[in-house]
Amino acid sequence: MTVISAPTAPRRTWKNTALGRFFSSPRSVLGAGLLTLFVLLALLAPVLTPYRPNSMEFDAFMGFSAQHPLGTTALGQDIFAQFVYGARLTLLVGFVAGLIATFLSVTFGLAAAYFGGRIDEAINTLINVFLVLPGLPLIIVAAAFIRGGGVWPVILVIGLTGWAFGARVLRSQALALRERDFIAAAVVSGEGALRIIFVEMLPNMAGLIAANFFGAALYAVLSEAALSFIGVGDVSQVTWGTMLYWAQAKGALLQGAWWWVALPGLSIALLGTSFAFLNFAVDEISNPRLAGGRLNLPSRVPAAVAAPVAGDALLSITGLDVGYAAPTGVVRAVRDVTLDVQPGELLGVAGESGCGKSTLAFAATRLLDPPGGVLGGSVRLAGRDLLALSPEELRRVRWKEFSIVFQASMNVLNPVLTIREQVYDAMQAHGVTDRDRLNTRARELFDLVGIQTSYLDAYPHQLSGGMKQRVVIAIALALEPKLIVMDEPTTALDVVVQRQILQEINAVRKRLGISIIFITHDLSLLVEMSDRVAIMYAGEVVELAPAHRLYAHPAHPYTQQLMNSFPPMTGPRTRRSGIPGRPPSLSAEIIGCPFFERCNTRMPGVCDVQPLQTFPVAENQTAACFLYDPAVPAAVKESAVKDSADRAGVVRAGAVRDSQTVLATRPRPSSPGGES
Amino acid sequence: MLYLLRKLGIFVFTLWVAATLNFILPRLVPGDPVSVMLAKYQGRLDPSAVDALKIAYGLNDLGSPVAQYFSYLGNLVRGDFGRSISLFPTPVIDVVLRGLPYTLGLVGITTILSFLLGSALGLYSGWRRGRAGADAVVPAALFLNSMPYFWFGLLLLYVFAFQLKWFPLSGALDPFPGDAFSVGWWGSLARHAVLPVLTILVTSVGGWLITMRNNVISVASEDYLAFARAKGLSERRIVNRYVLRNALLPSFTAFGMSLGFVVGGSILTEIVFSYPGLGYYLYQSVTNLDYPLMQAIFFFIALAVLLANLLVDLLNLILDPRIREGRV
Repeated sequence: MTVISAPTAPRRTWKNTALGRFFSSPRSVLGAGLLTLFVLLALLAPVLTPYRPNSMEFDAFMGFSAQHPLGTTALGQDIFAQFVYGARLTLLVGFVAGLIATFLSVTFGLAAAYFGGRIDEAINTLINVFLVLPGLPLIIVAAAFIRGGGVWPVILVIGLTGWAFGARVLRSQALALRERDFIAAAVVSGEGALRIIFVEMLPNMAGLIAANFFGAALYAVLSEAALSFIGVGDVSQVTWGTMLYWAQAKGALLQGAWWWVALPGLSIALLGTSFAFLNFAVDEISNPRLAGGRLNLPSRVPAAVAAPVAGDALLSITGLDVGYAAPTGVVRAVRDVTLDVQPGELLGVAGESGCGKSTLAFAATRLLDPPGGVLGGSVRLAGRDLLALSPEELRRVRWKEFSIVFQASMNVLNPVLTIREQVYDAMQAHGVTDRDRLNTRARELFDLVGIQTSYLDAYPHQLSGGMKQRVVIAIALALEPKLIVMDEPTTALDVVVQRQILQEINAVRKRLGISIIFITHDLSLLVEMSDRVAIMYAGEVVELAPAHRLYAHPAHPYTQQLMNSFPPMTGPRTRRSGIPGRPPSLSAEIIGCPFFERCNTRMPGVCDVQPLQTFPVAENQTAACFLYDPAVPAAVKESAVKDSADRAGVVRAGAVRDSQTVLATRPRPSSPGGES
Repeated sequence: MLYLLRKLGIFVFTLWVAATLNFILPRLVPGDPVSVMLAKYQGRLDPSAVDALKIAYGLNDLGSPVAQYFSYLGNLVRGDFGRSISLFPTPVIDVVLRGLPYTLGLVGITTILSFLLGSALGLYSGWRRGRAGADAVVPAALFLNSMPYFWFGLLLLYVFAFQLKWFPLSGALDPFPGDAFSVGWWGSLARHAVLPVLTILVTSVGGWLITMRNNVISVASEDYLAFARAKGLSERRIVNRYVLRNALLPSFTAFGMSLGFVVGGSILTEIVFSYPGLGYYLYQSVTNLDYPLMQAIFFFIALAVLLANLLVDLLNLILDPRIREGRV
């Protein structure tokens, strides 16, 4: 129908599945390969060697030969036969003891987290006791009393003592899970405890449990080897551990049969490594923070032409393209954005979640972390290209020339340093080192944002959310930068505090003559505060206009619909319509207008075909909309506007149900390519 | 304060569990350990040693198991662990005290060294993630960490002591090292310690590296780190005051938690090098079925690990203002 594809989830390619990601890491492939090799060795033991591992029918200490590829032991056993048969019991110990320990970890960890209260406390104490009791000596002492009797008592002892570490990890993970909405919903809806634990919680922890199993298996194999080596357990069984015991007991090294010692030990180490690799790989998949950094972005293409900078602009962003590397390709979160900020101006940037406004702020201030990166364009602050600065040049400019107030100010203060230290270090990094001056300035700043100076010596956790926000704003003002970027600085605060802080920001701005870029999804707030407002949609600035002009005469159909989402303070109650539909996927190539699908006044054949440009609407007002394209015939525009008016009634009546809430208050998500 | 009391409570409780395990384990064995030992020594055992054993295991009808248990705990508090079977009539406590300094010196110092070295490498590897060198240490660390301690010790012993003869084959000192604490004595001690130290260091450093690396990577994605960079702080300050300070806290906790496992593994090193510490005596007691000695050594290792844990908790208290406030 149209060129713009409907919003699609990222393609479910092989590489995008958990298993696909697992096998795209060389580490996990190596781990899985090694493990498979050892399992095959164990399974095929009777095929690989004609000898029994324990028959002592040969001469002692024979060297390498065709019949005995690895020679014989001091007792006349074939070393190769011992090795392949030893793999069987060694793997058995690893798997079974690993399973027992994992089972106990899961049971204790989940039970503690689910039931909470006394049960949690009791289990947690038990976990702590088992954690700090030195494991191996305990096993040695325990196993010394159950000498002989094959490998099973050893497996049991290892399994029963090796669960505490996993239980601790799983408990904290399950505790976090317990707080999540869907578990709370399940509890409220009266599902049984067992059902919630096994059906709702367990599948969400599969990755961690798998990682835990490999960790436990590694521990089990190493413990078995250690026990066998000192002769505890049953040394008549053939495992790699008992091979080491006999090799040591019979002086293999002194006889020059070093491989009798080297081979089983190396195999234990390699088996352990394969478990550790798998543990690590599974951990990386379930904890994306540990992975990442592997995807590559194309390097930045500087703006082709150094755009003519309006002589007096403080900041000018030209043709900025920003993307996130995702397994499915590059998600272009900011597309060809051009904006400038005048000295002393408050520029508002608004748009719904995921429109790229925060990404814009991060990219323009060079704070974007991988997998995000700038693909093209330039950012000039007072004539200097920020994107071209060396790290040290950038460090010097930061905070002195421009500062930034983050969206989630709750967590932007370092929990282990005092507030004072964090106010000071911003100034110290830029040459203010005199203690008296630092102290005076810190007190000034706190007065300015309305916090008692006694809080300078507090730690962040001792402050409320509103106070932390004020501290961050105080730090942002410390060096009186020319520009402050504020990314939803008041979102997390209640309305009263929000208003206070905004008034203070505005007062300070006017007094000091600094420029502010104010990013929010709260359009009514922006219209009230800003000099100019930029509206973003799907990574593009679709409209730019003075605030009063935008309020009175929004030009872009998207802006118009946004304005319509807010109830006016006075007048009769009417039903608010949201904007039906969703923004297009940013990983797809967008041809024409990104708003086409949701637009009331779209012009098929024009909007979905031609490359979009920005057109002047009025003085200082521009919109990226073909309605203002002088090249489009007036008749086409008129019929589109007329259709829209006809449809309006229908939309009002029925479409509210499936409309998307446009401007929702949401905490800041951390996933790349989502909202940012 | 509440935090300290809680930790102290767990300390006492865990120690009590260790002591109780020591009491219960031998009594769970089918048959009685004394007759097993008598069979093994076949009349070579001194009659008074047999009596000592019987007393140790309550086989001389001292009363109900409960009464035995309390007299056992009482003896424990008084430091009376009975007499060693294999070194009869030496009191067990004397054997333990003989081995303790060597183990504290070797395993204690090396474990701390390994933690510091591993954490430093982990900090580097986590902070410089994505660079070839920083990423290559991960598989290396995982491999080293999967090697059995004693096996790596054996290889070192074979190559450097047996083949190359650079270092002594066994023991902690030369037979005649000179006066205690003289220069020659220290030299002899150092030469004997090189290979065991190397063994413990190489096989345990990887674990601390991975722990620290994961913590650093977690901290690196925290908002306060982006804020620190936005402030234009020097990299040095960011690493020291922001990354290290925050990443070290969970590393410290992990250190306390895994100490039991690491020390347990390290004492095996003593066996390979016949280093006369607790691990060596534990091995001797296991091979000689010297149960009283075995139990006392387990108790002392547990005590040392628990004390170290208490120390870690104290350090956490100093380093983390949130714990001081009782928030965590």
